[in-house]
Amino acid sequence: MSTVTCELCPHACVIPEGAAGDCRVRVNLGGRLRATTYGRPSAIHVDPMEKKPLYHFHPGSSVFSLATAGCNLHCLNCQNWQLSQRGGEEMEEVYRADPAELVAAAQREGCRSLAYTYSDPIVWYEYVEDTAALAHAQGLTNVFVTAAYINRAPLRRLCRVLDATNADLKAFDDGFYRRVNGATLKPVLDALVTFREEGVWTELTNLVIPTLNDDLAMIRRMARWIVAELGADTPLHLSRFHPEYRMRNLPPTPTETLRTARSAAREAGLNYVYIGNVMGDEGNSTYCPRDGTLLIGRSGFVITHNALTAQGRCPTCDEPIPGVW
Amino acid sequence: MNMPMRRRQTRELRFLGCLALSGVLIALYLDQALRLTAHTGGGYRVIDTQAVTRRIESGELRDREAAWYRPSTPDETGGHPP
Ligand SMILES: [Zn+2]
Repeated sequence: MSTVTCELCPHACVIPEGAAGDCRVRVNLGGRLRATTYGRPSAIHVDPMEKKPLYHFHPGSSVFSLATAGCNLHCLNCQNWQLSQRGGEEMEEVYRADPAELVAAAQREGCRSLAYTYSDPIVWYEYVEDTAALAHAQGLTNVFVTAAYINRAPLRRLCRVLDATNADLKAFDDGFYRRVNGATLKPVLDALVTFREEGVWTELTNLVIPTLNDDLAMIRRMARWIVAELGADTPLHLSRFHPEYRMRNLPPTPTETLRTARSAAREAGLNYVYIGNVMGDEGNSTYCPRDGTLLIGRSGFVITHNALTAQGRCPTCDEPIPGVW
Repeated sequence: MNMPMRRRQTRELRFLGCLALSGVLIALYLDQALRLTAHTGGGYRVIDTQAVTRRIESGELRDREAAWYRPSTPDETGGHPP
């Protein structure tokens, strides 16, 4: 019996022959760990960048988005559980798309970026790494949408081929991570710092779930940590929860809760705090932190107004607005 | 004289039975609730290896070697040679 230990994520799965890691897609066959979904995505779509959500990275552009089966988290409220909580052998739809085919398809669709998204791309690491390297060689950029539950060394290597990330910070509470996501907080915080150190443009998403992580004191603590460790210019998306999967017993987040949380995060020092999944809210748009000028107006994923100068500055006060424009 | 006594015993037994049943039902409910807590990994998953192998042979999945793993130490496999 050749048991192997996976060192990709903090789960550190010890996997006997014939079994898979906790993610279901990294399988020990004959004493060697196989990435079974390499080149075998189960979801491919062209999305607006705003859907990732990334608001300070090529706004209004199309992004070629893909996912394979599998995930290293098991969130009770997962929106993509049919994809993320299955192994490759359980999927009805499996496409064949090697990295070169993906990059060519992205170019055909007029996309300047690829997004590794929907499930957690951490568990199809090799596929991401090869595709992203090829995309860079063709002048495309790479977006990594993740829960950031990954060890530092693999993440550092992957960052060489990544340009932007939207990473979840699901709560500023280890107990929440254990109960709701099947993970722990500390490695996530370490990964977020690694993204910053490696120069990957980072935006964060915090899904606000009524009664579970909507405590204002916790949101303030989280915002203060972001200011101190990642910088006040890190965009934070406070996103509305919808009852899904195994968490249908809670109501959608009231808009008022999101607005109060947004105010608290801004008071804690964050310059760009957004409200997600609430169509038409003023919290969808980007404002100059210095004089309040509306810079980019959004309704849902659609850009309704763009006053940012070509150099990415406020047209009123010339304040540089951080991002990749 | 004996009959009322026996009837009372029967009633008590029934009551104790109800109590035990309630206990079992509460335990089952709590077990279900606890299972709903997200599973924190660290172990491994038993999968349908034959299905995986079949799909690899047909080209629907891949046997591409993964990065970031090593042979387990005896410590990790509970003292058994890995
Ligand atoms: Zn301004």
